[in-house]
Amino acid sequence: MSTFLLMTITGIGLGALYFLVASGLTLIYGLMGVLNFAHGAFLSIGAFVGLWFATSIMKEATIPNFILAMIVGGLAAGFFALLMEQLLITRLYDRHIDQVLVTVGVALVVGAVLGGWFGNDLRLFPTPLWFLTGINFFGAIIPADRIIYIATAVGLLIGNWALLRFTRIGLIIRAGVENRNMVNALGINVRRAFSTVFFLGGFAAGIGGVLVSVYSSGVSPLIAGTYLIYGFVVVVIGGMGSVTGSFVAAMLIGVIKQFANYYVTGLGDFVIALLLAGVLLVRPQGLFGKRIS
Amino acid sequence: MTLRWKYSRYFLIVIVAALFAAPILGTNPLSKPGLQQTLAVAFVFGALALTYDLLFGFTGLLSFGHALFFASGLYLTCIFINHSVFVWWIAIIASILLTSLLAFLVGAASLRTTGITFAMVTLAFGEAGHVIVNRNFFGLTGGENGIALNAELIPQIWVGVVNTKYLYWSALICLILTYLIIWWVTESSAGRVFAALRDNEMRVQVLGLNTRNFKLLSFVIAGALAGLLGSMMLLLAGSAAPRFAESNITIALLLMVILGGAVTRWGAVVGGIAYSFLTTRMQDLTQNGLFAGLPKYVSGPLSEPAFLLGIVFILVVMFAPGGLSGAYYKLRLRSISKKYSSSK
Repeated sequence: MSTFLLMTITGIGLGALYFLVASGLTLIYGLMGVLNFAHGAFLSIGAFVGLWFATSIMKEATIPNFILAMIVGGLAAGFFALLMEQLLITRLYDRHIDQVLVTVGVALVVGAVLGGWFGNDLRLFPTPLWFLTGINFFGAIIPADRIIYIATAVGLLIGNWALLRFTRIGLIIRAGVENRNMVNALGINVRRAFSTVFFLGGFAAGIGGVLVSVYSSGVSPLIAGTYLIYGFVVVVIGGMGSVTGSFVAAMLIGVIKQFANYYVTGLGDFVIALLLAGVLLVRPQGLFGKRIS
Repeated sequence: MTLRWKYSRYFLIVIVAALFAAPILGTNPLSKPGLQQTLAVAFVFGALALTYDLLFGFTGLLSFGHALFFASGLYLTCIFINHSVFVWWIAIIASILLTSLLAFLVGAASLRTTGITFAMVTLAFGEAGHVIVNRNFFGLTGGENGIALNAELIPQIWVGVVNTKYLYWSALICLILTYLIIWWVTESSAGRVFAALRDNEMRVQVLGLNTRNFKLLSFVIAGALAGLLGSMMLLLAGSAAPRFAESNITIALLLMVILGGAVTRWGAVVGGIAYSFLTTRMQDLTQNGLFAGLPKYVSGPLSEPAFLLGIVFILVVMFAPGGLSGAYYKLRLRSISKKYSSSK
């Protein structure tokens, strides 16, 4: 029983990391139809800026300092996302394939710059000691860092939900995901909503980057790739444009991967590929997606 | 059905003849095995870029999983030869057939989605392939180190540095074969449907054609050819390694096609050859200290080929969407229209 609990909770912790990447991807796709390959670059930028802040500005690895580093990393990635959107994406209005290609280019350039500056070896991230302890949860010893991942993901989900539900810009974003042309026709400037979504997506990915570097016990430009791909899988399974769908799919994938890896080492990724194929065969629009007409 | 010539026939024949003859014509740069090997790899990538052009340029399918079929041809051939399941040439044919089957299955699942979702799904399948060869299931794929091809089980003319020219010729033949097949496919009536699918899928549906079957056909043809090129790559590299299954390969193919220019066939081939050749050379140059005088925060990114490539790529996508061949045709169109207007 305690093994079952441990596997479930660590799986949810992994899913939380996937959700941080996927939430931005799904909103950006839902609103603008852009498949953002640079999302992995946002993750890396968040991780490296977070690392810089945690080592150069904050000398001690305490929990408040860590949370601050997380926010700084998130902001850096968010502003980078905003910059990319303003400089490149908006110029390719409605040229969806070209927008995808440009994000591929940005991903290449950022990867090369970070690789050239810092090398591709893992750099240790200063982790608060508390993260390495275990927490007794109904007899299962849960690594404490998982709690942070889950809390951050849930916090972001609630924040996202509140923003989308209660603010004017959230209303515009929701309406834009539903029918962008109609919102435009009503004389509302959707561009501002685009920028907001890009910033929020970058912010979430940046925070994810800092957490990922704790999870994989170091920072490297190469880590982002895996999470980007899992982000894509989560978005497809959860349904494009649906944040709730992404949350459910991310948790599902995290838990399934954890259990599959527990029984046969290395089986996890394979099972996820099968799950993806299965979902596509039964529900091509994803679990929470709108039916494509 | 006749194949239409769109370019200068003699120019093409001269280039191909020169490339064939170069290794045995006295002393020239191509008589050295080093350059022969580099160019042979470049030929394989040129051909691979062409198969990607069939998908992306001609059929309008933005697939991010094309490396899967390249790697499948590579690994299956290596496994069949090493375990003496088949003689080398049957091994190659069997691996192409199995790769086609894989392309059929992956295509059938992914083509239930369209557009951007299709891109994400193929990426996920491609990455699953990368993970599988990395994990060394049943000890077949050798995990991260890959597997070395048992050189005793292939014809000896492909073994050894002295014989690099035979590999070079084989790669050139593979390129020409791929070119002819794709030429034939894209000019056939099925090829017309592919182009129509790219331009307006709804209209093809209205004509009563099953659009998914045609897309699947294009996907399987491109996959099968990638499998063949995988076998060729195995002979060139002498081993099968997970780096051939990475999604970076597919992204490189996308860059080759965009930079060379899609839908012109020669654009993709030139793009692929140039990309492969230049990235190999650039690594040599940076290792020899090309940027030694510059401070590290400048030289670091510059020594990564992806940096300049990424910037050029962004610029081409934004300002010159036709790539190299597109620019060429634009220039030619301009000169023709100028001649026409001046003669009037």
